[in-house]
Amino acid sequence: MGNILIISENDAILSRYKNLLNNQNIHVSSCCTETSIYDSLEVEPADIVIIDEKIEHPDICSIVKKIKSSFENIQILLIKKDETIDENLSKYINGYLFDSFSDDILQSTISVLLKNKQTADSLSEKNKALSGSLYRLNVLYNTSSHFAGTLDTKKLIEYMIEGLDKSLSFDLTCTISCGSDNEPVLIINSLYDISEELINALKFRSVLHYKSLFEGTKQPFEVDDTDLKVIKIIKNPNNKFTFSIFQYDNMFAPIDLGDNFFGCIEIFKEKPFTTDDATYFQTIVQQVSLPLKSAGLYEKLKKLERIKSEFISIVSHELRTPLTPIKNAISILASGQCGEMSEKAKVFIDMAKRNVDDLTNITNDILDMNKIEADMMNFNYSSMNIHSVIENVKNSYDLEAKKQGINLSTQEQDNLPEIYADSHRLGQVLKNLVSNAIKFTPEGKSVTIKSELKNAESIDKNSYFEKDLKALNGDYVVVSVIDQGIGIKSDDIPKAFDKFTQLENSLSRKVGGTGLGLPIAKRLIKAQHGAIWCDSEENKGSSFYVAIPVHNGSDKNS
Amino acid sequence: MKKILIVDDEQDIVESLKFVLENCDYTCYCAYNGEDGLKLAREIVPDLMILDVMMPRINGYKISRLLKFDQKYKNIPILMVTARSQEEDKLIGEETGANEYITKPFDLDEVVATVQKYLEPEKVK
Repeated sequence: MGNILIISENDAILSRYKNLLNNQNIHVSSCCTETSIYDSLEVEPADIVIIDEKIEHPDICSIVKKIKSSFENIQILLIKKDETIDENLSKYINGYLFDSFSDDILQSTISVLLKNKQTADSLSEKNKALSGSLYRLNVLYNTSSHFAGTLDTKKLIEYMIEGLDKSLSFDLTCTISCGSDNEPVLIINSLYDISEELINALKFRSVLHYKSLFEGTKQPFEVDDTDLKVIKIIKNPNNKFTFSIFQYDNMFAPIDLGDNFFGCIEIFKEKPFTTDDATYFQTIVQQVSLPLKSAGLYEKLKKLERIKSEFISIVSHELRTPLTPIKNAISILASGQCGEMSEKAKVFIDMAKRNVDDLTNITNDILDMNKIEADMMNFNYSSMNIHSVIENVKNSYDLEAKKQGINLSTQEQDNLPEIYADSHRLGQVLKNLVSNAIKFTPEGKSVTIKSELKNAESIDKNSYFEKDLKALNGDYVVVSVIDQGIGIKSDDIPKAFDKFTQLENSLSRKVGGTGLGLPIAKRLIKAQHGAIWCDSEENKGSSFYVAIPVHNGSDKNS
Repeated sequence: MKKILIVDDEQDIVESLKFVLENCDYTCYCAYNGEDGLKLAREIVPDLMILDVMMPRINGYKISRLLKFDQKYKNIPILMVTARSQEEDKLIGEETGANEYITKPFDLDEVVATVQKYLEPEKVK
């Protein structure tokens, strides 16, 4: 068993070797010019090449090198013309023969080399299989990490198909799945272009496959081959597949999510699949099911989030509607327009009024937060003076401050430039800060609203809000609300603007409220290209700062 | 006496506004939907209007636009009462021409002060 090529011009040698080897089930061919050597090896790969050193060629070494490098594991024997041995040549050949060798020695040398060749071949094959498996493992690993990195159903399917393509190099694959909007889609990834008729046939086939998974039990989604959406991805549109694709080898697998089937996939390949291919196919398709399940849950969650937001909006609106007449009725009664009330009655009317106001603020806060989070808050920007806003805020809280024995004052730098902001929203933020300051400040102390012009560079550094302050650039009007209240623990300062944080030391628990005031303030100011931050010393007081950009003349309505 | 037209589909709100404004010596006319409101506005030509946004058939924004872009009525001050709901946000789209916006739930004192600002500016100052 084996193929041997003898390169010699010597008839005696040729006939000797032919006679010797032909009866051993070994095929012997011969040639004598250089080009014919490579041609003959190309057509009939040899296990052993025997070269006669006496052939007329200036550089036998180059021939040997070329044969060795072009044909894997090939064994080369040299028939020597004398006893000298060329060191360089001996690196490439597997053995020497001499005319003086007996037939037995020649035969045994050749059979040893044949065995060598067989061993080397089987080793190479195992190596190839090993590197093939390594490659697939690598693809599997990459595909898995892709799977882990996304919660997008469409992307997961894409990654699965990509992984299959890299490792199985299929010709065509059909994936039927329930799309993101609950509409089934058929994704066809094909090496070559496919005709409408072929698409229809593939549709029909996929739907049958998919339906067969359920055997009469209820399908998660209705699918019909006539109105099935198709996404076609063609690698090479210059060529076309015909119906003969159905004669290709194929494999089919359901995408199983455990409690139901997400879809199914079929792949076609001209060359038959191996059992390894089948295992690999199953593995990848199984791998995608877990992330697909998470993706499904994630989508449900997002939908719920939307519904929640809508629900909150409706509820708070419905709550506010009856609040208006309640407020009105109370205020008419309190005004005495319906006749004087007893002192006792006034106490209770006052109680009702306070609580209605609280309820109003809470519903406003929830509605604002909800709007901000849904990105539906609209701003009416205009160039304006901070003075009117601050005066308005001060007027709103003068009475309250007086009641609590707190000195509420303003300090305004002269000739402040105009700012560019939404006066209503800015007022809302300042009101929130001032109302907090009053709540936290004990009797006899003071709350100050200070406003001054500052450049981003000259704003005092604040280690808690470094990031927010770094983003500032240019001139700002900075409004500070400074109280002499209980202050905030240094650990809590960075959390002051977080959602639903009720600082341990804060009065909001005692005073009530949603804890949404400051987070809303932060978002409102950020949206107006400003910054809000605070500083505090426990038991000495807190300062809250709001920086609003100075109007630069152009309308940057965003 | 100055005439005020109140248009709101919530009777309770109309009633409380009417009570307070009549106590301030204004004459109040009331309508409970957009169609009647628009008809009444054209008929009596009030000195000021308080207009709710969300109403069946013709919403407040539309009424405001129809009046504000009409030579005959464009000088009537309009106080728009909004609930700041998402449906309202969808409606707004273009300029409404309203002079003031009052957010529900509003303070009656605030409404009275705003009305006086337009009808008796000398009194406010």
